[in-house]
Amino acid sequence: MGDDYTRLWTYRLKWLYTLLVVFTLMLPVFYVIYISFNQNGFGARDYVFTLEWYGDIFSDLLLMNALGNTMLLAAITMLAAVPLGLIAASFYKATEAKLLTVTLLLSPLFVPADILGSALLVFFKNLNIACATVGEWLGISWFDTWFELGYFSALVGLIIYTIPYIFVVILITMGRYKEQQSEAARSCGATAWQAFYQVEFPQIRAGVFSACAFTLILTFNEYTRTSLLKGGYDTITSVLISQMLNEGMSEQSYAMSSLISFIAIAVIGSIILYTLVHTDRLDREARAKAQPLMST
Amino acid sequence: MNQPNEIAVQVSGLSKNYGAVQALRGVDLSIGAGEYFVLLGPSGGGKTTLLRLLGGFIRPSAGQILLHGRDVSEQPPNRRPTSMVFQSFALFPHMTVAQNVGYGLRLRRLPKAEIASRVDAMLELVGLSALAGRMPHALSGGQQQRVQLGRSLVLEADILLLDEPLAALDAKLRKDMCLELKHLQEQVGITFVHVTHNQEEAMTVADNMAIIANGELVETGTAQDLYENPRRRFTADFIGENNIFDGRVSGLTSGGVDVDLGFAILTVDAHGQTPRVGDNVSVSVRSELVRVLGRGEAPDALLQSVPATYGEAVYLGLATSHVASLANGDAIVARHISRGDASDVFEAEAQVTYAWPRARMRLHLS
Repeated sequence: MGDDYTRLWTYRLKWLYTLLVVFTLMLPVFYVIYISFNQNGFGARDYVFTLEWYGDIFSDLLLMNALGNTMLLAAITMLAAVPLGLIAASFYKATEAKLLTVTLLLSPLFVPADILGSALLVFFKNLNIACATVGEWLGISWFDTWFELGYFSALVGLIIYTIPYIFVVILITMGRYKEQQSEAARSCGATAWQAFYQVEFPQIRAGVFSACAFTLILTFNEYTRTSLLKGGYDTITSVLISQMLNEGMSEQSYAMSSLISFIAIAVIGSIILYTLVHTDRLDREARAKAQPLMST
Repeated sequence: MNQPNEIAVQVSGLSKNYGAVQALRGVDLSIGAGEYFVLLGPSGGGKTTLLRLLGGFIRPSAGQILLHGRDVSEQPPNRRPTSMVFQSFALFPHMTVAQNVGYGLRLRRLPKAEIASRVDAMLELVGLSALAGRMPHALSGGQQQRVQLGRSLVLEADILLLDEPLAALDAKLRKDMCLELKHLQEQVGITFVHVTHNQEEAMTVADNMAIIANGELVETGTAQDLYENPRRRFTADFIGENNIFDGRVSGLTSGGVDVDLGFAILTVDAHGQTPRVGDNVSVSVRSELVRVLGRGEAPDALLQSVPATYGEAVYLGLATSHVASLANGDAIVARHISRGDASDVFEAEAQVTYAWPRARMRLHLS
């Protein structure tokens, strides 16, 4: 509830509106979950509850393979892009050329996915041709395949895609950090790395972890760049989309989608809950400790 | 502990530029070991730049820094025999008071028991034993600065740098902590280099001090030297409340230097300086030495007097400032101890005589 002057019914109306928006957004997800428990699958007239499709997920090689590939891409992207974003945010805090830095770092956000994807596609194709030409000229062939489309090129596309988000998320927590603390650590005898790891990092940890979670979700959902730069139908989104376009999604796919939704909702929900409870507890502790103090 | 006459800080030709801005220009300075040394000056004058150069947080553009005889100009902060106390926000918020104080000892990988006993002793020294388990956000400003002091002193570095350590505290607390700092320094005996823009704070703690303004070292000396006998016009203007008269040397006599102000000629002792006739110079006298002569009171031979047009009285409690204007339009101030009766009241626009002891005037060539 807001302040004393908030009217009760406007307050309730705002809540109602919020819930309505969330419900509308989540409706398709609920529908997918509903289908996943139907013995007769999508569009069937009779609804028979079953857990059969969930059991079948693990024997569906196409889906399990896709899940493995997606998780691998997401994990490598996270491991590569989050440190890069962290370095970028530190640089941004230190540099005087802030406008230029922020423009360059955020520019991938303003390029549509298919344009950035196809631009990289052309880039890698040309790089391949260049490598092959130089190789032929030198009479060696061992770097012919370096830049062929595949995991590597897809990873480059995904890293470029996720860095701006990581940069912004980390910068928000870093903005509150006071640089004197690093200097104080240095003057206590810490090296630059110790000052970062022991003093700055514990304070921006929340931002770094949020950035990791964000990167995983972004990469998991990504279709355009992944399919342009890697091709093949072997990630979760590309498998689902190809099924949709061809014969319609298999029943296991509905089950898989639902399972992923359950996990995502559970993970994100518990993160939010933990954060809320934790901040609340810290606030209460701070108030309790601050009260009996005198002014000296 | 330290050898007498040992030099802790020796700085020569030290400069720092930020692009076209010269934050510090060719500073030469030496600070003896075990001294409480204050860098005093107006904001933006370069004193914090000098301190940060000593601490190794910025790299000099030119010049050399020797700490206890060792050239550290290119060394990072953790390789220098210094430790620093910051103005504010410098405690580690995710560590308790005891963990903050023990941080540097943990970096040195000392045995746990030794760290604990040294931290305890330090908390005792800075009066925070009862708060060892508190987090920094649950401390007042004064307590936070004590933790910072403890965190630095526990390292037993040779030189402690303090960057406006009391600026974030309220006036009463600042006064108390000033004396505490002074006593602490006497107890531990290491060199303190303290930056402040607050004159009273500087005079309370300093064995020696340096005035720094516009990126230059103006003058060094004890608090008393700088207050009683400033060499430079800037020092006279900055420290205490001085009346400053700008004029030209009109003659050199056995009695001193004649300085022509246009409406009066002042005769000042040269104090070993060698001005030439025609030089532009300044003469200063502290306002508490100046008196407004009452009607019928004539100046004697020991007094220098000038005519003035009385302006107003400003009551400041202990003292009352009598402001008047000279023939050239400049203001002159006489500070009398407030008497609280009619003997100290003058009419506005009245023609009065301001007078002060001749011997207390100072000549400034620059």
